[in-house]
Amino acid sequence: MTAVELAGITKRFPGVVANHDIHLTVRKGTVHALVGENGAGKSTLMKILYGMQKPDEGTIATDGEQVTFSSPADAIARGIGMVHQHFMLADNLTVLENVVLGSEKLYGIGARARRRIKEISERYGLGVRPDVLVEELGVAARQRVEILKVLYRGARTLILDEPTAVLVPQEVDALFDNLRELKSEGLSVIFISHKLGEVLSVADEITVIRRGTTVGTAVPAETTPRQLAELMVGSELPTPETAESTVTDRAVLTVDTLRLAAPGGKALLDDISFTIHAGEVLGIAGVEGNGQTELVDALIGLRHADSGTIRFLDQDITALPTRKRREQGVGYIPEDRHRHGLLLEAPLWENRILGHVTEKPNSKGVWLDPKGSQEDTRRIVETYDVRTPGIDVTAASLSGGNQQKLIVGREMSHKPRFLIAAHPTRGVDVGAQAAIWDHIREARREGLAVLLISADLDELIGLSDTLRVIYDGRLVADADPAAVTPEELGSAMTGAASGHLEHEEPPGDDGSGAGGAEDDDGSGAGGAEDGDGSGAGEAGGDGGPGAEKIPGDAGRGVDKTPGDAGSGAEGEAR
Amino acid sequence: MRRISRITVAGAATASLALALSACGGTSTSSGSDDGDKGLAIAYDVGGEGDQSFNDAAHAGLQRAEKEFGYKTAAIEPTDGETNADKEQRLVSLAKQGYNPVVGVGYAYAAPLKAAAERYPDTTFGIVDDATIEAENVADLVYNEEQASYLAGVAAAKSTKTKTVGFVGGVDNPLIHKFQAGYEQGVKDTDPKVKVVAQYLTQTAEEGGFASPDKGKTAAEGQIEKKADVVYAAAGLSGQGVIEAAAANKIWAIGVDSDQYKQEALAKYKDSILTSATKDVASAVYSLAKSVEDGKPETGIVRGDLKSGEIGLSDSNPKFADDAELQAAIKTAKEKIISGEIKVKSS
Amino acid sequence: MKKFDKERVLLAVAGPVIALAVAFVLSAIVLIASGKNPVEPFALMFEQAGFSDIQVLIVNQASMYYIAALAVAIGFRMNLFNIGVDGQYQLAAMTAAIVGAHADLPAALQIPLLLLTAVLTGAFWSGIAGVLKMTRGVSEVVATIMLNSIATAVIGYLWLPDVFGVKIGNNNTTGEMHESGWVPGIDMGAAGEIYGLVILAVVLGIGYWLVLNRTRFGFDLRASGASESAAAASGVNPKRMVLTAMLISGGLAGLAGLPILLGDTHTYSLNFPTGIGFLGIGIALLGRNSPVGIAFAALLWAWLDKASPELDFHGYDKEIAVIMQGLIVLAVVVSYEAVREWGLRRQQRRVGAELAAGHVLGATDNTEKEVAGR
Repeated sequence: MTAVELAGITKRFPGVVANHDIHLTVRKGTVHALVGENGAGKSTLMKILYGMQKPDEGTIATDGEQVTFSSPADAIARGIGMVHQHFMLADNLTVLENVVLGSEKLYGIGARARRRIKEISERYGLGVRPDVLVEELGVAARQRVEILKVLYRGARTLILDEPTAVLVPQEVDALFDNLRELKSEGLSVIFISHKLGEVLSVADEITVIRRGTTVGTAVPAETTPRQLAELMVGSELPTPETAESTVTDRAVLTVDTLRLAAPGGKALLDDISFTIHAGEVLGIAGVEGNGQTELVDALIGLRHADSGTIRFLDQDITALPTRKRREQGVGYIPEDRHRHGLLLEAPLWENRILGHVTEKPNSKGVWLDPKGSQEDTRRIVETYDVRTPGIDVTAASLSGGNQQKLIVGREMSHKPRFLIAAHPTRGVDVGAQAAIWDHIREARREGLAVLLISADLDELIGLSDTLRVIYDGRLVADADPAAVTPEELGSAMTGAASGHLEHEEPPGDDGSGAGGAEDDDGSGAGGAEDGDGSGAGEAGGDGGPGAEKIPGDAGRGVDKTPGDAGSGAEGEAR
Repeated sequence: MRRISRITVAGAATASLALALSACGGTSTSSGSDDGDKGLAIAYDVGGEGDQSFNDAAHAGLQRAEKEFGYKTAAIEPTDGETNADKEQRLVSLAKQGYNPVVGVGYAYAAPLKAAAERYPDTTFGIVDDATIEAENVADLVYNEEQASYLAGVAAAKSTKTKTVGFVGGVDNPLIHKFQAGYEQGVKDTDPKVKVVAQYLTQTAEEGGFASPDKGKTAAEGQIEKKADVVYAAAGLSGQGVIEAAAANKIWAIGVDSDQYKQEALAKYKDSILTSATKDVASAVYSLAKSVEDGKPETGIVRGDLKSGEIGLSDSNPKFADDAELQAAIKTAKEKIISGEIKVKSS
Repeated sequence: MKKFDKERVLLAVAGPVIALAVAFVLSAIVLIASGKNPVEPFALMFEQAGFSDIQVLIVNQASMYYIAALAVAIGFRMNLFNIGVDGQYQLAAMTAAIVGAHADLPAALQIPLLLLTAVLTGAFWSGIAGVLKMTRGVSEVVATIMLNSIATAVIGYLWLPDVFGVKIGNNNTTGEMHESGWVPGIDMGAAGEIYGLVILAVVLGIGYWLVLNRTRFGFDLRASGASESAAAASGVNPKRMVLTAMLISGGLAGLAGLPILLGDTHTYSLNFPTGIGFLGIGIALLGRNSPVGIAFAALLWAWLDKASPELDFHGYDKEIAVIMQGLIVLAVVVSYEAVREWGLRRQQRRVGAELAAGHVLGATDNTEKEVAGR
């Protein structure tokens, strides 16, 4: 029995295709996870299913019957409800009032509604009290109110958009219990996430979406996080091989014990230290939200470090404002080009000025030099193959890839000595991707130092000279891109591995012990076993209890003998 | 490309404007014709017609003149935030059309009226509440409001039981200060123990001090809470709110400018209106019209005071008129003011 | 390229034209609904625009509207809503009047002194809101509304006879300014005088355009308005930009009352026009924050103001002009947004179409490059 079936869904926005030929089948009484990187098209797909947007092509069927939704009301009438990532509750109203708001016709606003709320709450174990003010509730309780709100309106299929993003681990477990409760009552849940561990623990089925299209489905019992990660980021893309090393010994950027704390005091970045040399690309791998954004902000000067120093060439730039840093040769390809890299409604030539308004050819003294920047924009458009009919069109009318090429061209035009490249090829078509890689490589040859942050592990491995893994605001592991595989990086990204990543490093979620225990005296054997397969995770799981004692040992053992172990493992693995 | 088009646009705009200015040599006041029999015209102050007070009093005079002399009259409202130039335009426009006399209601018309009078020396102008213009063809219709307010103070002091009386001024300006000064003096001279609580509704007329019954009501309620049991409102249309609050709390209100006991709009509350400090703008306006009609236009300062009877205290409310002790006190005070024994302060 | 220029002109003109047409039609409906001739009032008002004395009134009034609207517009350009222009210009006009009445320098110094006084007062008053927003995150809308109220109270205080007030009859004034501070007008004969400071308004308009479009600072300001995050990433200090924009907006606002103060009244009295700051908001909206657009909008507004009193003499209510002003503002907000979106989508389609047709700037060897990139 299928609850919802999406077939061949395609949605185009001006300049981009957000969804392309997506297929998704959700069975009744299951939790179906939809996973994919940010920007992969999950949200658009769910907006289509929830009636907020209309697909350009494709069909939606609920309970085997084809339907068209022109508004969320239609979707609700068909038993589809959505719990948004950002709660839509009025703080100064009670739970009861929030729930009935907009659905007064269903059960009135009084005793009948209260009875119904209690009934739902008990049935699914939500523990919602109808007469409490929402402002008194914590995040998890609010989320349960949102879920109840949807159930109250008669939903049989619930869409949860990144529900765990705001929860602490215990709350996540409680939420999962609720979801299982729902499932056992025959309801279906579509669970959107990019946290693989969670997905595997709660979902019955998984659909992976990448670059706007479904790339595969998986059954959790037969899948490891690594396989899933692979599906998510893809490995069949053109590989960005870096031919010969151009790394010099001139340090361009040195970060020393950098710390950045959230207003509450929680460290967003802690103990970050690294050096990037001229001609070196340092890649930072990590699951999104582990401090990459904050690191970039700290480097470009949007946020200032609470402690630690940043040195650029021979100067301490820790306290310098953004503009000074950029003037001195820090280039910036931002993670979110619409928010940080472009003025969407301004013409291209004005976008060419953005970020470099004090530099030639954009200005002379305090005056702008529109002619100069227009001419230079034409040059960038040509050199960087930005496809546009002219430089007077707005940035918004270009496709994502062309926007990105413009940004890359702009940043490269000022001969940066250090380039921050955050997801430089995200949302970019394959051709543009190759071109952007090319430009980065070329600049690297000329002595540019690059900090590369990417969710695309192949990109990271292919472009970087050195790799570091960021987890929970710390750089927890490093690796040699020539020797590491996406699988190994993936396990470090989930916090399972640390130190220097080599093939003997036992990967797997909770099973670092299994391999580590054996590794105590010699690192070769365990690593060799791991090298060939993905079964290690399960093996590790088995060995879990015994392993608990000595994870530290394993880590230390690896740290001590990186060189030896590395070469040994590599030899055997290949 | 873009630059040129912008400059072209700007140039075209300037040119067309200049062209318009030079091409249309005629002024709105140089054309137009005199048709028929036109008489008195008034230009209202802020609040306009229907304020049950100051402007309406002027209008009453206008109606009387219209009826009596059988000519065409005009009454024009102001706009919000207008400048002196607008006021002058209005007066000039009226004079040009042949209205005579032209009366500006309120001191705001002082400067514009002076200018208009210079441009139309053959028209008689009148201005209410201003005595700064000295011109052959201008009559300054001013009043010793403080004298009537003094009598209102006497009446209030005699009527209060709580020994607290209130004063609500529409706008915090010199004209209304006169009302307050006279009132307070009257109260103190009658009974030094009586306390006066005074309040102004707004700083400027634009904020609605003369035109917001709701503000008046709130202010009066506040004073009633402070135990005031007689409230004197010198607040134009806002006074209605004061009277309403007084009626609701069964205390006395004293009206202003017109005899508010007799006004239809306030008939519901008339039993709470003790008296009104009248200022007979109607008859001053009418007299001016009549003097013009008689061919001997008034000029210079035309002052209304207790002696001339153009200001006073109304006695339409029988409860007030029949209170012999109160009436005696008022009569004494009135005589003393007329004789000059009492000098009423004006600020 | 040429095509896109035409496009831009079309888009720039479409919004206001649609808004005005809608406002005219709706006003006519109001007239019909109240049983009046829907055409004659407009005919009368157009006729008024032909008279030179009315034109002088319009130009004079428009000069003040223009400056006030520029002050609002510079805030808009950086996503700040300075609703306090009204309080700023009134307070500034008052301090200028006070200084003008007490200082007596030669005209060459006196007039700049008065202008400077007004600019500083306005900037100071808006700066309070700017500092509050910068340091405490207080919304500038709330802060400036409050400051409007406080300005009124301060003005009331300054009018006290023992502070700076001078009573003339029943009017509060600040005393007559020394003649060296009077700015002579342009004599138009019987039509009256155009305020000398109308020229100041023109100069400010040109300056506004130059600063915004031709300086680094202007670019930063526009970038901040278009996207705060992108501007911050480009190196603009957002907090400092907030304060700077507020100060400039307030400084400009301070000048809004000066054409009439230095050109006509020579004193700040109870008769001083109020509400220009609020009207400036609608005018800035209608003029799309562009110096030329605002000039047209200010003239239009002044025309509605100055031509409408005539209606009273013909049995129509002059309030029809006020209704129309309100309708224009409403229509403008709707039509601009609609036109903007329509234009954006249209451009995206065109770009798509031109790319498909192969009209691409430069790079004819795209495919080659891609291959090389691998």
